[in-house]
Amino acid sequence: MSYLDQKEPPRREDRLKACIAYGGSICGMADRQKRCLQDDGERCFTQGSICLLLPGIAILNSIPDSVTLLHGAIGCGSCAHSQNANVRSGSGLRRGKVKDALWLSTALNETDVIGGGEAKLTEAIREADRRYRPSAIFVVSSCVPGIIGDDIEGVVERVQPQVNARIVPIHCEGFKTKVWATAYDAIYHGIGRVLLGEPEEYQPVLVDELGELKEKYRLSRTVNLMNVSSMGRGDEQELARLLRSLGLDVNIFPVFAHPEEMYKATQAAVSVSVCPTHDDYFLKYLQEKFGVPYIIKHMPIGIANTGNWIREVADFFGFQAQAEKLIATEEEEVQAALEEFRPVFAGKKVFVSAGEFRALATTQLLAELGFKIVGIRSFHHDEFAEEEYPKLAAYGEDFPFSIANAQPFEEANLLQRTKPDLFLGHWCSNATATKLGIATHVIYNTGLNYIGYQGAYELARRLYRQLKNPSFSKKLSRYARLPYTKQWYEADPFKYIKAVGSEPNV
Amino acid sequence: MSSFIERPRYLCPLGGALMAVTAIPRAIPIIHAAVGCAGNIIWGQNGGGGLQVGGYCGGLSMPSSNVQEREVVFGGGERLREEIRNTLEVMDGDLFFVLTGCVTEVIGDDIKAVVKEFQDEGVPITFAETGGFKGNSYYGYDLVLQSLFRNYIRRDAQKTAGKVNLFGIPPFMDVFWRGNLDELRLLLQKLGLTVNTFFTAADSLEGIKNAAEAELNIVVSDVYGVEAAEVFKELYGTPYIALSLPVGPAATDLFLRQVGDALSLDRQSIEQVVEQENRLYYHYLDPLAECYNDLDLQRYSVVVGDANYAVAITKFLADDLGWLPELAVCTDPLEESQQQRLASRLAGLESGIQPHVVFETDTSEIINHLNQRWPHNKSQKYYNAFSPAFVVGSSLDRELAISLGAPHLSVSFPVANRAVLDRGYSGYRGGLCLIEDLLSAAIAGR
Repeated sequence: MSYLDQKEPPRREDRLKACIAYGGSICGMADRQKRCLQDDGERCFTQGSICLLLPGIAILNSIPDSVTLLHGAIGCGSCAHSQNANVRSGSGLRRGKVKDALWLSTALNETDVIGGGEAKLTEAIREADRRYRPSAIFVVSSCVPGIIGDDIEGVVERVQPQVNARIVPIHCEGFKTKVWATAYDAIYHGIGRVLLGEPEEYQPVLVDELGELKEKYRLSRTVNLMNVSSMGRGDEQELARLLRSLGLDVNIFPVFAHPEEMYKATQAAVSVSVCPTHDDYFLKYLQEKFGVPYIIKHMPIGIANTGNWIREVADFFGFQAQAEKLIATEEEEVQAALEEFRPVFAGKKVFVSAGEFRALATTQLLAELGFKIVGIRSFHHDEFAEEEYPKLAAYGEDFPFSIANAQPFEEANLLQRTKPDLFLGHWCSNATATKLGIATHVIYNTGLNYIGYQGAYELARRLYRQLKNPSFSKKLSRYARLPYTKQWYEADPFKYIKAVGSEPNV
Repeated sequence: MSSFIERPRYLCPLGGALMAVTAIPRAIPIIHAAVGCAGNIIWGQNGGGGLQVGGYCGGLSMPSSNVQEREVVFGGGERLREEIRNTLEVMDGDLFFVLTGCVTEVIGDDIKAVVKEFQDEGVPITFAETGGFKGNSYYGYDLVLQSLFRNYIRRDAQKTAGKVNLFGIPPFMDVFWRGNLDELRLLLQKLGLTVNTFFTAADSLEGIKNAAEAELNIVVSDVYGVEAAEVFKELYGTPYIALSLPVGPAATDLFLRQVGDALSLDRQSIEQVVEQENRLYYHYLDPLAECYNDLDLQRYSVVVGDANYAVAITKFLADDLGWLPELAVCTDPLEESQQQRLASRLAGLESGIQPHVVFETDTSEIINHLNQRWPHNKSQKYYNAFSPAFVVGSSLDRELAISLGAPHLSVSFPVANRAVLDRGYSGYRGGLCLIEDLLSAAIAGR
């Protein structure tokens, strides 16, 4: 039985044995001494983080002609104010019109908490359909309905016959999982269950046999390029450029895909992931249900990684020779272009912090650029990362490696120890390094390029810029103070990681 | 009441409370909630806060118990205790402030009891129950003030003549909070008063602790902080005045006079300050007289804002700048009595302008209110258009501005498209700032 036959997807802790707490070194990871793998490690001091609702809404708000109806308290969805920038620029770049995201909140109040929110949700769906006439309504449930036991599927089933929009229930109850990457499963789960049906069309009176053959040929060379919003338009275009140069056509899914065109994902020749953290749940489903095979192995950040990513796709189509030629040309060009920056990068110490795969892949790019890696923090760990640790361990000197869902207190401690020249961190996670006086650059921003050869060059260009004048951080650090005690900087950075069944490391 | 709110322009009470606590000098918030509450709020700040995220202990550095299914089933008290204990080791602060979210309130954790254990040990710690279903972020701000008044400030303080507290400007939710608070404090100091504003660089925990020394609480809002002022009055017998956020000379003259009256200050010295400040304001405005007219810079306008800005900006445009704010939209969900109070503030304006005041939470509905107010062109040869126009609102009102062919300025949350550090719109100087920003937007293509 498929996971998608269930109302909700399983947690990644259960499905992939994903974990969020580890502190040690990269060689330790490569040697498979991962404490957290064995016993679901946790911390007994934690700072705030994000839940699956955030990446969830980031994807949903990009879907044109849809509304995101958040079923929960009024604050769930505030993140959309930040993500709206991506929706605006993304719709401008992809669809020619800058447009604000459209999200609604049922804003559950105290009465709803006691009496249940189902009636309000029912009315909200009807009103949203009436007012906005969308193609799809994503009903996203957050913590409160999860606790008070609102039956979201029941509501959707009852109200669907009364509205035009297709209603997609999405479960994002934040207290249910520690691993926010479960968001991708939650979104794919909803889309997979509701939006993949092909629209009914009139049968043509005269059959255009040549046209049909052409279409069949096109589809046999169409690749689903999976993007759950880790790539902006620039990155999409880079991968589309590389795939097109192998004679392939590209269907980008699911960000900015129109609900009525989502079925196209079921017709492609193959699906290609750009980040193993994202897509395995859905790719397996597309294969099982629609016979679309998939490739999920490399993240095309970094020169070698991009080459390997292209090779996997080319292998599938039997285009090995063309791929090697493409890779050789591209590498030669990008390597030559990078020469100008290499003297500045050589031996500079860098610390990297980001989502599981992005952290590992970006580190490989930084090593290619000549940086010395002094630390990595990756947001979670699961089986997909296994192959990457030995690659990083092979760079030479061992360095601290931690798995943490943000937790800047550990980061502050590690940065004071490792004293990097440069820090790369995720969105809303760069202030700690900056206030310590370290040149800093964001490792994820959909307005910037990171992916493929173009991304490698653009990232290098930006890092060069940061290193050329880090005065913002340097000057700020003279007066900024982080909120940590002196004794904390002297303590073991992984002091608060405990393991189930054992005492904390205090 | 609609069954949903479209694109809420506020966060939950926890969000507003966190913004307030991160603005208290050397305060450390401790969130007792699910893992994503902090991130969601910070992303909200990132997107709507004029590029300001967090204070001393803000952003993702805020301690949080990150409760899970286990706590939902068995209760989160033990987890909170552990989190507080370890926070005291790691985090360097002088006031620890526990704030709850939806999950821990629904499951009914006894926060007060856990916090008391630490208070008994002498830890400077307090709490507020800020579950998301209790209201919005403006109310969260109010709840933090209430908690300070009930649990933190010295009860035995002696009332001191000339001391006042000023609040009603929620940190970060009002992205101009620092500039606004600073300017009003400076003005009150010109009246010889000592002012505690709780959240600025000029404030301290010692000043906050002594808040009950004030002889008057000044709430520069018709809504935010009013409940807290009531609590203060109940606890310490301190009277308060609540008036709209004063932006520009007309409102600020009134503000100073009302404060003077409430404290029975010498009328003449108040008038002296008023006169001086007006003289200075118009001194700066003076050289604008040529271009203001040459460029025909008077505008019809739509003002969209929270309870503070909807009123304050509209009044300023009408009574100081001489614009025509035909429609004032307040986007907060409010009680009827609060709505009436705000509407009354815009009735009988000195300029004679009668703005149409509506209460509408949903961005995409605002255009309908204008269409009702201002008749469409029915292909008439001569048509008195709503033009030239200007939209003052939040960054969500850019689409409205585009549909009116009008320039736009983001003032009220969310302010996604401006960087704000110490800029403020309150007082006389604030009025000048606002004119600069409005006219700069109007002539951007010049």
